[in-house]
Amino acid sequence: MIEHRYGVAGMTCGHCASFVTEEIERIEGVTAVNVDLTNDKVIVTSDRELALADVRAAVDEAGYELTGQEH
Amino acid sequence: MSTLDTTDPTKFMVDYLTSFNEEILRSDEDAGQIVDHYYANDISLMADGQRMGRDDLIAHVRPIRKNRATSRVEVHEAVVDGDRIAARYTLYVSVRGRDLVIEVHFFGRFTPDGRMFEGHMLTRNVDTDADEFASGQAANESEAS
Ligand SMILES: [Cu+2]
Repeated sequence: MIEHRYGVAGMTCGHCASFVTEEIERIEGVTAVNVDLTNDKVIVTSDRELALADVRAAVDEAGYELTGQEH
Repeated sequence: MSTLDTTDPTKFMVDYLTSFNEEILRSDEDAGQIVDHYYANDISLMADGQRMGRDDLIAHVRPIRKNRATSRVEVHEAVVDGDRIAARYTLYVSVRGRDLVIEVHFFGRFTPDGRMFEGHMLTRNVDTDADEFASGQAANESEAS
């Protein structure tokens, strides 16, 4: 299992969290998505490496902005 | 824009919540400008334990626009004391093909020109399938008649 942390701006409530989760879960290989609202972070667990562009597109589709990936 | 001293408390709350959302959807105006119509620059808002400042409110405009979130509000009661208002209301939100019902308990303070400068709110998602909600509605209706 691979875990990556991403910065996502604009999530302010539980609904924001569920919209972002929903979109990221559609990416192939993703097994879990956890949102840390307090720190504007999304923790994504997957069974393969994810392309940053795919994660960015998913976050954008939900209406939010990916600010970066933590290593 | 309505102000607290001249408007019925319930109407003030309805107008405030409705027009903020409508303005976001209707205009292409800069998110910062819209937020500044409704919130004082030094807004201190605690929503479900999360502190939200001006930047957070601005960031929240984009998803509302992008998702074309529409909402209707029903204010159950509102009480005003000087620049303070306490209100209980329910938001009926339509977003991403889903209907959400959110119950809110709110205390806030407003500037003389009707912008929020302090707010505390607790929200609860109402499970619309649950019997509790259905019977709650029925009870309200019979009370009213
Ligand atoms: Cu939100």
